[in-house]
Amino acid sequence: MSWFSSSGSRDKKEQRTTVEAEPQIHRSLALSALFEEFRRGRKLQVLDLGPAIGSNVEFLSQFGCKIYIEDLYAAHSARGVGGLGETEEAGPQFFAEFLPTSEPASFDVVLAWDTFNYLTRKELGAFMRHLAPFCHPGTVVFALISILKTIPAQPIRFRIVDEQNLAYEVRTAATRPAPRFVPAELNDILRGFRVDRSFLLRHGIQEYLFVKEGERR
Amino acid sequence: MAWKRDDSPGTNPQPEPQSPPRPMNSAAPAPPVPEAPRKSGDRATIGPSIFIKGDLAGEEDLVIEGRVEGKVDLKQHNVTIGKNGRVKADVFGRVVTVEGEVDGNVFAQEQAVLRQSGAVRGNITSPRVTLEDGSRFKGSIDMDGSRAGGSGAGKAGAGEGQAANRSNAPATAASAG
Repeated sequence: MSWFSSSGSRDKKEQRTTVEAEPQIHRSLALSALFEEFRRGRKLQVLDLGPAIGSNVEFLSQFGCKIYIEDLYAAHSARGVGGLGETEEAGPQFFAEFLPTSEPASFDVVLAWDTFNYLTRKELGAFMRHLAPFCHPGTVVFALISILKTIPAQPIRFRIVDEQNLAYEVRTAATRPAPRFVPAELNDILRGFRVDRSFLLRHGIQEYLFVKEGERR
Repeated sequence: MAWKRDDSPGTNPQPEPQSPPRPMNSAAPAPPVPEAPRKSGDRATIGPSIFIKGDLAGEEDLVIEGRVEGKVDLKQHNVTIGKNGRVKADVFGRVVTVEGEVDGNVFAQEQAVLRQSGAVRGNITSPRVTLEDGSRFKGSIDMDGSRAGGSGAGKAGAGEGQAANRSNAPATAASAG
């Protein structure tokens, strides 16, 4: 179907080196903190920027939230090699198409997983500027930023095992350079959001919970 | 209606030998059909060569292997969009199973199932939603009426956190061990 183009030319190359290793389970301290938000008792609106994963939907269903699934990497890679590039102009247009406003949404939680690692600095800035109107003060963004030199050529698939553990499914042995966003840089790129909590994990992933600034409703 | 009757109990009906495509008009009066008692397992099939432009409603289960551009409204019955099926409109059913493609919203009173081969662009509203791995989905999922509240249970895992920070200041990076 034309509106699903999850395999751009970048992906086609990468699929040759698909790995089917057992998923590794890592404890996620940020995830534990994130679920505090879910236990507040009201119906949350959750934006999942990863692919549709049934077990995650099933897990989140216990909280009675509304889940929006918009696979950022798939949409991004569908644009072909080079993605958006470093042009300032392409970002807003792309993201307006990616996250349309057909249904008014105000997200309480954004599950970014590791998708930010697959955007350039300008793309990430453009994306966050586009996302901001869909958020409100107190909106939490959960992101996993690699501090390593390289990352898998495709985003990892993360499955929520429970409130403290994530299963990592690396889908390719191929790698690509990581943007290696540093905290100060992220503070600048994600203007309007502040780092609420951050945890550096042994396997080179820094977990972040960003919170939209402003008076919480 | 020119749907093909399929009373077999199987879940994936095999397409019948294809006849030349016939123009369809859902608004046209249906030809007289002899009344016969229907078993609960009755279901209708829209074959792969059929294209329907218009709303569909009925009182039996439905399998769509063809193309439908119009609301599918069988709230009390099961609707299956087969691997060849394409629906461009909202789908209402008791259990809605998508193996093909839906460009519209899905409302399932009991359960919505998106199979591996399936694709939905639209919103799914159902108390139970199953997304199989490999399925394609773009939209929202609303499971209103599902279990509320979360269990605090958590599986113990090896502590991996090395640095924790809760402040407005950026996290201090520690070396990965």
